[in-house]
Amino acid sequence: MDVSQYLEIFIDETSEHIQNLSDCIMSLEQEPDNKDTINEIFRAAHSLKGMAGTMGFKRMQRLTHDMENVFQEVRSDKIKVNSAMIDILFQCLDAIEAYLDTVKETSSEGTEENEAIVNSLNAILNGGNPEEAAPASGEAPAEAAKEETAEEEEGFPMKFLKEPLSDEGKEALAAKESAGSKVYGMTVYIDKNCLLKSARAFLVFKAVEDLGNIIYYNPTSQDIEDEKFEFDFTIFVESEHEFEELAEAAKTVSEIEEVVGKQITMSDFDKPAEAAKDEKKEEASAPAAPAAPAPAPAAKPAQAAAKGGKGGKGGKAASTNKPVTSRTVRVDIEKLDTLMNQVSELIIAKNSIVSISNTEGDGTHSQSFAEQIEYLERITTSLHESVMKARMVPIESVVNKFPRMIRDLSKTLKKPMDLVMTGEDTELDRTVVDQIGDPLQHLLRNSADHGLEAPDVRVQRGKPETGRIFLNAYQEGNNVIIEVGDDGNGIDTQAVKEKAVERGIVTAEQAESLSQKEIIDFLFMPSFSMAKKISDISGRGVGLDVVKSNIEALGGDVEVKTTLGEGSKFIVRLPLTLAIIQALMVEIEDEKYAIPLGSIQNIENIEVDEVKYVQAKEVITVRGSVYPLIRLDEILDVERKDPEAEKNKTSLTVVIVRKGDNFAGLVVDKLMGQQEIVIKSMGDYINNNKMISGATILGDGEVALILDANTLM
Amino acid sequence: MAGENALTTIDGDKKQYIVVKIGSEQYGIDISYIDNIVRMQSITRVPKAQEYFNGIINLRGEVLPVMSIRKRMGLQEDEFNNNTRIIILKIEDRGGLGIIVDQVKEVVELGPNEIDNYSPETKDERGDFIRGIGKNNNQLISLLDLYAIIDDKEGM
Repeated sequence: MDVSQYLEIFIDETSEHIQNLSDCIMSLEQEPDNKDTINEIFRAAHSLKGMAGTMGFKRMQRLTHDMENVFQEVRSDKIKVNSAMIDILFQCLDAIEAYLDTVKETSSEGTEENEAIVNSLNAILNGGNPEEAAPASGEAPAEAAKEETAEEEEGFPMKFLKEPLSDEGKEALAAKESAGSKVYGMTVYIDKNCLLKSARAFLVFKAVEDLGNIIYYNPTSQDIEDEKFEFDFTIFVESEHEFEELAEAAKTVSEIEEVVGKQITMSDFDKPAEAAKDEKKEEASAPAAPAAPAPAPAAKPAQAAAKGGKGGKGGKAASTNKPVTSRTVRVDIEKLDTLMNQVSELIIAKNSIVSISNTEGDGTHSQSFAEQIEYLERITTSLHESVMKARMVPIESVVNKFPRMIRDLSKTLKKPMDLVMTGEDTELDRTVVDQIGDPLQHLLRNSADHGLEAPDVRVQRGKPETGRIFLNAYQEGNNVIIEVGDDGNGIDTQAVKEKAVERGIVTAEQAESLSQKEIIDFLFMPSFSMAKKISDISGRGVGLDVVKSNIEALGGDVEVKTTLGEGSKFIVRLPLTLAIIQALMVEIEDEKYAIPLGSIQNIENIEVDEVKYVQAKEVITVRGSVYPLIRLDEILDVERKDPEAEKNKTSLTVVIVRKGDNFAGLVVDKLMGQQEIVIKSMGDYINNNKMISGATILGDGEVALILDANTLM
Repeated sequence: MAGENALTTIDGDKKQYIVVKIGSEQYGIDISYIDNIVRMQSITRVPKAQEYFNGIINLRGEVLPVMSIRKRMGLQEDEFNNNTRIIILKIEDRGGLGIIVDQVKEVVELGPNEIDNYSPETKDERGDFIRGIGKNNNQLISLLDLYAIIDDKEGM
């Protein structure tokens, strides 16, 4: 069987299962007796085994098989979960991940046998001590109930008898019955290793339809297309043939494990069913359903599900009051990029129409023209928002590997520590999420290694022995903030200062006058490590500077807050989107610049004589707050045509911008208004000094530069 | 591009060059690196950029940096006139880049034996950017080394 077309699905699903396993094993370590977790692990390991087997990855299959065996024993309380076992399980996961990486690169699993891990797994199996694990009798019945869905259970109950038939369904059944035809109920069990169960299900439908008329089936065709069913489904069929013939036909479909059923009558369903009242009457349309999606799964199951969902029938099925969970389509990120580019073009085109309508507004344009333009603006803005949302993914996919990492660090560093995460559902642009993992990982390692004190020191200081590391993510305006920190030692600015002097970065005198922020900034310099000894975890001096440059490359920035003895916090600020922003357009002499609206606090008109000097720097006072003044014309080297007129100005237009807790006032000549701008890169030929974060094309085709308010300060 | 390939296959090793005028001299640019030639248009200055970058332009919705080849070679900037052109280069995986030349004259074909190696007797800035001298009907064409031009030694 050629399985290469399923490789992508295999890779996606395996990654999901590995993550799931990792989460479960983590929680198992906390509560070794949690049956739900054990069952979940068993199922995940089992699915992995099945998928690896289908794809012909024998080594991977063997490993997962042994893993499954261990859990089989755990599940039946023959082995107790202990810390050593958890360690081996994590090694297992790493090995499976390594297989998966090899698969991604070479489409084969490689030759690594992982003999050691397999042996340890078998050792666990053989060393299992039945006396130790006296089964808690209270849990036994619950366990039995769950067994029903698990594969080792050999029974195939006639589930169709429990089918909650709707009134319409009953009517249909009654009608057939009174017409004298035979109606069979049957439940079909698909092999649990089956990769494409929806395709198998539809083949069964087709086979059965050749012999009879399907009058009812459960789950709905929609759920079957979406593979939203366990490994069995129920159909009621009206047929002149004997049941055995029907069962035989269904069994000719491969990967069908068992078909059970019998002839049914109304009396089988003569109990009050809590009816799904708009349960569909499917007799007429049933034949159409299996026929349409049947060829599709072969091409691409994920997409087929989406396509099928759009069909009239799918829509009808979805409108039954089954809980509708998220319905998704997998889309190549490149397609979204293209879409985003097209939206950008559209906005540029829209801007030029707006600019034409403004400049040529000599009464020739009617009111309705202006209204239409406004309408167009609304549409493009919401179109942009929709595309942006489509590109957003929760940061969960990145941060959910961290608990495991902290656990491992805790073991290697011999420091007990907990990771507390909040806001994993915070969403960011896909490209940002893809690149934020490494910087965050660096910061967490940093906290674990440098931040947290050794346990005995913590106890001496009156802190709990277990260190606390946190990762909080949340949205703030047009930014997403991710805070990573710990309740450890904090940054010893005195030590950093000494180190900086020792390295000759500053002189001892200069060091004395440095602010705390300036000292902390040393930590972000290349090869400035504070670690006393080099460890695997950190301390090679590559780290914080890489973190900073990675985050700046994404248009974000890092800030540090620290209190010696109490801990430190790294605040990573990231833009919500990379492509299109709202900005205030300003003019300096005849040059146009855009200032992102997200960083603007307010706009003030200041009389020149209100400007004061503090340490020879210009400042202004607005409603009691003091802001340093930045003359944009000076720092941007704007040539003044008439320097005299500049000096005689009596008032200044000041745009007050904010970055975290810092503010500054930017002096501009003229405000031109707010505009939606598309950020374009300037390429890598021009060295700019980071004051300019990009360029944008204005409505009249001119290019304006975007100021990065953060670096101006 | 297809046309160029067709020609090179016919003429063996011959390569096409666009001949441009910079100051009083003629320079040749390998046509395979040229994406486009456009008229002078308004250029937005970029503060703190390298001195020889005039700024950025909007080329059909794309923002491209534009360099003055005169300034790059240490010559005086000339007034732009009707003959001034921006040659848009596409160099491998780096983005597009415009260079301003005084005038675009013609396209010539040069084979390997029509190109002499250039060994500058005096090392000056201009010499750094020349890869060879092409001879075409009694006129000499200095072939530009585009990699040297985009390679920014003073930068970063």
